[in-house]
Amino acid sequence: MVMRPVPWQTGEICGPDSAKSLNKATQLKRVFTKSKKPLLIVGSDAVGMPHGKGDMIDYAIALSEAGKIPVVATGGAIKAFIEKGFEGAKSKGAMELANYLQDESWPGPHGKGPHDLILVYGIPYYMQWTLLSAVMNFGTHLAKVTLGRYYQPHADWSFPNMKEKQWHKTLDEILEFVGGGK
Amino acid sequence: MHMKKKAHFKADEARTDLGVFKGLEVRIGQIVDDEWDEPMGPTPMPSPTGLRSWDHKLLTKYTPSYMPYCQVCCLCTFGKCDLSGDKRGACGIDMKGQQARIVLAAANIGNAAHLAHARHLVDHLIDEFGPRTDLIQGPGTEIHAPVSRLVTGTRPRTLEDASIILDYCESQLAHTLSATHTGQEGSWLDFESKVLHVGMIDQVSMEIADLVQISTLGFPKADPEAPLVDSGIGMMDLNKAIILTIGHNIVPAASITDYITEKKLGAKVEVGGMCCTAWDITRRDPSAKVIGPISWQLRYIRSGKADVVVVDEQCVRTDVVSEAQKVKAPVISTSDKAVMGLPDRSDDAIDSIVDELVSGKIPGAYISDHHKVGAVATKVALAVMPKRRKMKFFPTKKQIQKMAQECKKCSECIRSCPNDQPVMEAVLAAQTGNFEPLRDVYRNCIGCARCESACPNDYDLHSWMVVAAEADCEAETYKVRTGRGAIQDTEIRSVGQPIVFGEIPGVIAHVGCANYPGGGADIHEMAEEFAKRRYIIVTSGCAAISAGHVKDENGQSIYERRGGEFDAGCVLNVGSCVSNPHIAGAAIKIAAIFAKRNLRANYAEIADYIHNRVGAVGISWGAMSQKAASIAAGFWRLGVPVIVGPHGSKYRRMLLGKAEEERAWTVYDARTGDRVVTAPGPEHLFYAAETVAEANVMTAKLCLRPNDTSRGRSIKLSHYIDIHENSYGFFPEDVWNYIRRESDIPITLKDKILAQMKENKWKERTIPDPTLLKELVMGGGK
Ligand code: SF4
Ligand code: SF4
Ligand code: SF4
Repeated sequence: MVMRPVPWQTGEICGPDSAKSLNKATQLKRVFTKSKKPLLIVGSDAVGMPHGKGDMIDYAIALSEAGKIPVVATGGAIKAFIEKGFEGAKSKGAMELANYLQDESWPGPHGKGPHDLILVYGIPYYMQWTLLSAVMNFGTHLAKVTLGRYYQPHADWSFPNMKEKQWHKTLDEILEFVGGGK
Repeated sequence: MHMKKKAHFKADEARTDLGVFKGLEVRIGQIVDDEWDEPMGPTPMPSPTGLRSWDHKLLTKYTPSYMPYCQVCCLCTFGKCDLSGDKRGACGIDMKGQQARIVLAAANIGNAAHLAHARHLVDHLIDEFGPRTDLIQGPGTEIHAPVSRLVTGTRPRTLEDASIILDYCESQLAHTLSATHTGQEGSWLDFESKVLHVGMIDQVSMEIADLVQISTLGFPKADPEAPLVDSGIGMMDLNKAIILTIGHNIVPAASITDYITEKKLGAKVEVGGMCCTAWDITRRDPSAKVIGPISWQLRYIRSGKADVVVVDEQCVRTDVVSEAQKVKAPVISTSDKAVMGLPDRSDDAIDSIVDELVSGKIPGAYISDHHKVGAVATKVALAVMPKRRKMKFFPTKKQIQKMAQECKKCSECIRSCPNDQPVMEAVLAAQTGNFEPLRDVYRNCIGCARCESACPNDYDLHSWMVVAAEADCEAETYKVRTGRGAIQDTEIRSVGQPIVFGEIPGVIAHVGCANYPGGGADIHEMAEEFAKRRYIIVTSGCAAISAGHVKDENGQSIYERRGGEFDAGCVLNVGSCVSNPHIAGAAIKIAAIFAKRNLRANYAEIADYIHNRVGAVGISWGAMSQKAASIAAGFWRLGVPVIVGPHGSKYRRMLLGKAEEERAWTVYDARTGDRVVTAPGPEHLFYAAETVAEANVMTAKLCLRPNDTSRGRSIKLSHYIDIHENSYGFFPEDVWNYIRRESDIPITLKDKILAQMKENKWKERTIPDPTLLKELVMGGGK
């Protein structure tokens, strides 16, 4: 297992920009303090992806509740949120989001924007890669943090293909950091 | 009507040095058609800017959303240029321009492949049958070649006419290709307009390619009952010598099946195809077999079951020679576009080529003379088969288990897999003799072998998967309906009205390649979901193969279960990649037959008609190639939306509408000239979906059109709502926006929708006679 900030899919090298390696929750302190209107984007791969006693949908719910962060689900992940009794999420296509996120005045899926920070995970690696490329190039008003295990070069902060255990631990730290967890 | 002012003269009698010619007519570069009474429309053979204003209408409604797939440019020695942020390249291009330029490059490459294929077919068939050979699409197709008529204003009635239409296409491709040169086009909007142009040219090129082969090679002619043929790896008869053909151009493959028929060798040798050559040989000879889609190449070659591999053009694995060498199967390359490094034996005697190939003196041969290919391939296959059947090519499970012990757990295999398959975990399971995980990987695998090129232990990982899934390969025994060709005018006559009024909720075309994110069964699932809802399902290419590779509880494929007519609930395969224009053609014919619009050189009006009225959606779930890009572009210019799978996001730009922007959805009412706000329909023009669930929801939604009658709208909405609730688990929030009058409301959902309408302060709207073209307003508009 690599533990380096290099694109997880080896061919998906990008251009001159690349995300900083996210190893500790505290690294996000500045990002979170600066952001007034974050948005959590959760893709279809998050459904059933284990984390703690539940999956990465439960994690999204916990993060959303703790940090009062609105959630938008892509690729039909919304169904899992609803089944878990979480009514606050909205649904949009990843490509629709990639388009809207380029617009500084976009009020967001809940009409509570414009957003200044996106937290993303769960979209298939290469599709998340392209979405983030749109944002990096044309949605420069946004800060971008990815919470999946694998390195996404187009974010500002991304886990560096982290070992699974350590990744789960750091995710929990981030949750605590925004006021949730234990 | 003379189409192009070039050399033409006609004389009842002409005296020359060579003698006296009676009834002489000389035509160079033009089509003479005095019997066609349809008036010439405004845009015969448009130039790259001839339909620019139509393109701009589409591109302001569906603005490109770019997702740079590469942030540098290395196309000239000014570069590499870093285009990230708001930087410009040394030539002045910016990031959006560059992305659009690459999209145009891809569409050009795609069209070049179809057009060169068409050119080869036309030249070859003129040689074989003569330039005056009639072109016949089949019974009930009085409007034959609708795309060519629409674009060029001419009817190709002979092979010679076809050649002239290709002259036009070739000139257009040269122009659009040249626009990608450094320091040519600069604006993304004009790049994109040329993408649409070359997409339209691509439709013409493909239409000509399919028309000429249908007319001359004994294919089904617009036949809803085109034969069911054998398909799948398990269908190949190992007691016979097997010739595998791969690619898109039937000419060499036809020489093989013809030779087998002529020499009555059918009991000893059989031909199986992959990708579009498979469709086209079975259209000519239904005893040939469709082994599988393009991504099955490696697994089948490596199995060693093919005794000879014959490749023609497009989407062929470029390492085919070294792969075939591993299993001692000689390769014959036949296309000047894909010689594959093999020695040219075109001019040698058949028996000497056979000797060299059978003895293994050469790994393969390039034979450009198609007349020889049939004899050489068959003779070689028969000669090498007995020895080859005794050989074993795959390792045993035991051997794999042993080799797997050395795995370095480096995860390079996973990192190189486009579908992120857990290859390493599967290898680790194989260490303990558990092959199920490798078998699971096989099911989601697109056969690219990137995992094994990355493996530091040089494991033949793809072969291991095939061994693990041996039982699945054997069980691949299906019946699929081969390509029927065009849709008959009579079929259009009976469904035109219900489609335009929305009572047949949509026409959904599954086309294109096999770069599936999670296996080919997804195609079947999507096709069945909508066929059972009485949409019309059309298929072509590799998608048509995958649609048929699932059996129901009675052991039947979707093609056995459902009719092949162009009608509600049917699933019809039009054929190979170059058959796609039959799908566009059906939409064009709806405008001509049902609405009596002139189609001759009348592109913008017909596209506007289709865009606003015909609920058609193209889906290319495994879109991979540049050809898929140009095919999609041809549908976009007609205003037909296209959905691709998640890998399609790598085409790096979507064409997306924004539902809340009223201006984008405002149309003219052709009756009054009023500007009328409509609901978004179709909401997007090019869309990559992340999952099948999302694709299904989007498909149902993209079938909505401003022209739907109330009955049609309520039918379309009920499907949209039902699929949305099943896939997403909740009632869609935008239904109210699609209600123009209360009669649009699906009756069983009335309360829910009325409540939603109230919540959103709904107001009644008129149902216009919708058009984006001011000139179509009666009396010229206000
Ligand atoms: S084509 Fe333009 S952007 Fe590309 S390398 Fe040359 S100068 Fe740079
Ligand atoms: S051959 Fe299959 S498993 Fe291997 S990288 Fe390609 S898709 Fe993945
Ligand atoms: S690349 Fe090869 S050695 Fe590395 S984990 Fe995969 S199978 Fe094992």
